[in-house]
Amino acid sequence: LTSLVQSVAGKPALEYADLEPALKIFKERLMTKNVAADIAEKLCDSVAASLVGKKQGSFTRITTTVQAAMEESLVRILTPKRSVDILRDVHQAKEVGRPYTIVFVGVNGVGKSTNLAKVAYWLQQHDIKVMMAACDTFRSGAVEQLRTHARRLQIPIFERGYEKDPAVVARDAIYEAKRTKQDVVLVDTAGRMQDNEPLMRALSKLINMNDPDLVLFVGEALVGNDGVHQLTQFNQKLADLSSTSSQTQSIDGILLTKFDTIDDKVGAALSMVYTSGAPVMFVGCGQNYTDLKKLNIKSVMKSLLT
Amino acid sequence: HALQQLSDATFIDENVLTDYLNEISRALMSGDVQFKMISTMQSNIKKVVNFDELSAGHNKRKIIQQAVFNELCNILNPGKLAFVPKKGKSNVIMFFGLQGSGKTTTCTKYAYHYQKKGWKPALLKQNATKAKIPFYGSYTGTDPVKTAQEGVERFKENCDLIVVDTSGRHEQEASLFEEMRQLVEVTAFNQNVAVGAVIVTKMDGHAKGGVLWARNTGEHTDEFEVFETKPFVSRLFGMGDWSGFMDK
Ligand SMILES: Nc1nc2c(ncn2[C@@H]2O[C@H](COP(=O)(O)OP(=O)(O)OP(=O)(O)O)[C@@H](O)[C@H]2O)c(=O)[nH]1
Ligand SMILES: Nc1nc2c(ncn2[C@@H]2O[C@H](COP(=O)(O)OP(=O)(O)OP(=O)(O)O)[C@@H](O)[C@H]2O)c(=O)[nH]1
Ligand SMILES: [Mg+2]
Ligand SMILES: [Mg+2]
Repeated sequence: LTSLVQSVAGKPALEYADLEPALKIFKERLMTKNVAADIAEKLCDSVAASLVGKKQGSFTRITTTVQAAMEESLVRILTPKRSVDILRDVHQAKEVGRPYTIVFVGVNGVGKSTNLAKVAYWLQQHDIKVMMAACDTFRSGAVEQLRTHARRLQIPIFERGYEKDPAVVARDAIYEAKRTKQDVVLVDTAGRMQDNEPLMRALSKLINMNDPDLVLFVGEALVGNDGVHQLTQFNQKLADLSSTSSQTQSIDGILLTKFDTIDDKVGAALSMVYTSGAPVMFVGCGQNYTDLKKLNIKSVMKSLLT
Repeated sequence: HALQQLSDATFIDENVLTDYLNEISRALMSGDVQFKMISTMQSNIKKVVNFDELSAGHNKRKIIQQAVFNELCNILNPGKLAFVPKKGKSNVIMFFGLQGSGKTTTCTKYAYHYQKKGWKPALLKQNATKAKIPFYGSYTGTDPVKTAQEGVERFKENCDLIVVDTSGRHEQEASLFEEMRQLVEVTAFNQNVAVGAVIVTKMDGHAKGGVLWARNTGEHTDEFEVFETKPFVSRLFGMGDWSGFMDK
């Protein structure tokens, strides 16, 4: 950075050329923190656009100016536009006598089932009655896995074995939850690669048939560009295959897992929020029921820029 | 696009090469290849394609393509051969990796792959239910090191390929790495074993680089291919005409 610290006092207004070297460094830094390449680029472009033509304080370094603009922009992106307050919404659903439904979706092995169990535990702590629905009827062992969590947490589970249409299992589960006066149904689904057409179709059917209150995209904090691809494809395919043409947004929120494995490479959080506009609602940070947190925007921003 | 330009350009100079390399870098970057690796690759190629030394008679296009191809293969080639089990011995193969990366699934595929070739594999699995969150601090399972040791003892007479599944771990977990060391120690008959090969899973989702031995192409037991660098690189760039560069 030392080569960039000369002050540009006296210059009338910032030009792109003044900013370019600093921006290049920030872009590379963002990428080493796992921010997807094109998002790092877009971010730098927008920071540049906001600064070009601005007057520079006489003793301010270019890097300081860029850093400040970058911070502002990161906080703006990471702060959810649509805020979802699950606890409030659960109580609202309860008042009208129906269970609140959350569907967990994502590619294989990202942590859907484990974090579903963590969310169940979290809801339990708030005196909410939870039921699990074993709608991964595809991968062997998936039902037993969920059953184990249900037993440990002493939560009812709705299961219909394998080879069943998961959309129908979910429907029956929600019906059962209503009958037995549960507050929340947590729907586990099979992992699927974003390009797998038949499996995406099945997921879309599940969502269309049951109209859940919340579709949570579960993604690993480890991913770089691929995470963005996963999320856009899930969003896109679910919207395309949706029966109601008005629906353009299909993912309501993001659950970012394996945060404990990434050290300071927190870029996936930024990439995913930037791409989808959906908020990071939970962060999974370990293999205990209590390892579920809220995203700390300030500390993510700090990690990205240092 | 730049690939096209390279074949269209009538005069190939430094600029054409730079555009071409930038385009390739961009593609690799969006495929999550490490930044440092890409810049090393770039400078290596620039060293090979030296415009000052290339006389007019040289086919620059071919030289550039060859250099890029070789460099991509080099990235994927660790410089040593991947581990191959030896028939007639009891081979112990242990799978390690991040949580949810596909170890358990791949163990089965690996064993099946060899079974089809007439081997006698045995699978030692852990975490049968996969719900391995400890509840109120107590791990319910038995000691994985002991289980593995007993399993290997039991199978080594009658099986020539003992595949050991382990639970997921990552670099921030010192205790699990100690367990990994112990697992290797008790099952590997005191041989000094390093990582012998890498398996890349979930290639049905995306093409990514890496140093690898075999790749998984799906969730089903028979979706497993042995990895070969050169065809992989050709496919990575979606180019049929690389075949001329390959060893027959
Ligand atoms: N370190 C860490 N591991 C996690 C976290 N969340 C889940 N895991 C682990 O990731 C692995 C996969 O978790 P699952 O919950 O089975 O993932 P899934 O998405 O349901 O997998 P499929 O149903 O097979 O697609 C397990 O070993 C979990 O213990 C987390 O926040 N941190
Ligand atoms: N699409 C696809 N899915 C795969 C592949 N390999 C594994 N999976 C899926 O990835 C998920 C996790 O696989 P596992 O074999 O349970 O992973 P693991 O590494 O044993 O997980 P832990 O023991 O929890 O650390 C499952 O849903 C598998 O079906 C593959 O090559 N392609
Ligand atoms: Mg699951
Ligand atoms: Mg496993």
